[in-house]
Amino acid sequence: MRQESFEAVISSHHGEIYRYLQRVIGRSGDADDLSQETFLRAFRAYGSLPGEANVRAWLFAIATNLAKNYFRSETRRRQAYGEVRATVREAEDPTPEAELASRQTEAMVEGIVRRLPLKQRLAFMQRKIHGLEYEAIGRSLGCSADSARAHVFQALRKIRQTLDGHGLLPKEPQ
Amino acid sequence: MSKKPAVCVQIEDDLLATATGEAGPSAARRVETHLAACATCRREYQEYRAVDGAVATLRDEPIPNGGLAEAREQLETRLADLQGRLLTYRIFPSPLGHILIARSELGISLVEYLDRGTSLRASRLSHEPGVELVEGGGELEAIYRELLEYLHGRRKRLEWPLDLRLTRSDFHRTVLQATAAVPYGAVIPYAGIAQELGKASAVRAVAQALRWNPLPIVIPCHRVIGTSGDLTGYAGKKLGLKQKLLSVEGIPTTRRGGTLGIASQAMYILYPGEREYCLPTCPSFDTHLPAPLTRFASREDAEVAGFAPCTTCRPDLHPISH
Repeated sequence: MRQESFEAVISSHHGEIYRYLQRVIGRSGDADDLSQETFLRAFRAYGSLPGEANVRAWLFAIATNLAKNYFRSETRRRQAYGEVRATVREAEDPTPEAELASRQTEAMVEGIVRRLPLKQRLAFMQRKIHGLEYEAIGRSLGCSADSARAHVFQALRKIRQTLDGHGLLPKEPQ
Repeated sequence: MSKKPAVCVQIEDDLLATATGEAGPSAARRVETHLAACATCRREYQEYRAVDGAVATLRDEPIPNGGLAEAREQLETRLADLQGRLLTYRIFPSPLGHILIARSELGISLVEYLDRGTSLRASRLSHEPGVELVEGGGELEAIYRELLEYLHGRRKRLEWPLDLRLTRSDFHRTVLQATAAVPYGAVIPYAGIAQELGKASAVRAVAQALRWNPLPIVIPCHRVIGTSGDLTGYAGKKLGLKQKLLSVEGIPTTRRGGTLGIASQAMYILYPGEREYCLPTCPSFDTHLPAPLTRFASREDAEVAGFAPCTTCRPDLHPISH
């Protein structure tokens, strides 16, 4: 039997899961709904969770599963892409040069990540933004830890290629 | 486009891992050695370092806190609603057949004999309005273990928190609360419960309330019998289960004609309101006075329940031999 109350689970993890889904989904209202659904599902199953289970990784897995279902709708996928393009355009407003470059890079990375194939994006978010172990990421995506790592590396390669293509990477060794 | 040397292709994965903080020490050493000799890969390494820096910026980007607080508030509202409706259940095998046990946030709310199947479809829960059902759970496993201990006579108390919201009325709830106080190893007539509730004529209503007891065994309606000593009924037509439950507690039963009843002469008796238990042959026991008697299977059970041996018939000196 678990010792930690579900209220304590919410206090510890709600903010992070909310942010994860905000980043993955991109649409604030839908991310709100999915973060609530994550915790309602978790609450239903909490009594059955083995005492030694990693609650954080388990919550990410529920959230990831909900995100995968969400993106089964192609319309939503296209909407998410549309928002990314808008974000990138906004970043092209005139500002001092260094800040412009930094904002462009940031917006570009965000855009690239949102355009990644879903598994790559989910693996990338869980690893590079939230620091989860590859074993847990693999479980949440229904693949091995090695495959989860390969997804993350593939995402990093794409980010590098795209930033390079836009001249946003250093040209000389530092 | 010039082709990358094989050695650079081979080390590319380690290079990426090292630049983005994903590599182990041996991979990092291999990369360091290679970079010392390869300007192309040094440039690639620096590019991945820049990528890693850009990703870190993304990681640190704040999400507006207002949205988070509002989402948390909405979550807590929905969770409170779900907590009020959620029942976790499991179906277990037992010496009495398959039994469904369900619990809410308040406590155990249903113990049900499933005589029409072994799935949720055979349960009254499948028709219960307003509840949400989830198959559980570690907590129910512990409850089941205690139930088995009880059914095998290794435990005399089931001290579970109970949720009586599945009872049909306030009167039923009152009947169940009175029944819960009937001690282990004892039986009492339906009329005794009715009398305790100050409604001596409501014997049939008491029997109906016990028929719909959502928590059999833990609220021991099997310890409530007819005034004549007949077992009368149990959860519909499950008289055999009632006999088994009574025998677990050492209560002797016998068949008189075609009717199952307790073996009254082999049990100690207690008058309503008395603090002393007696032999069935006690001279102070007036057989002409119609009183709903509590009967105990053993002196030990009577004394654990807080009663003393009668100073006239001295059941302590002349125990009933079984």
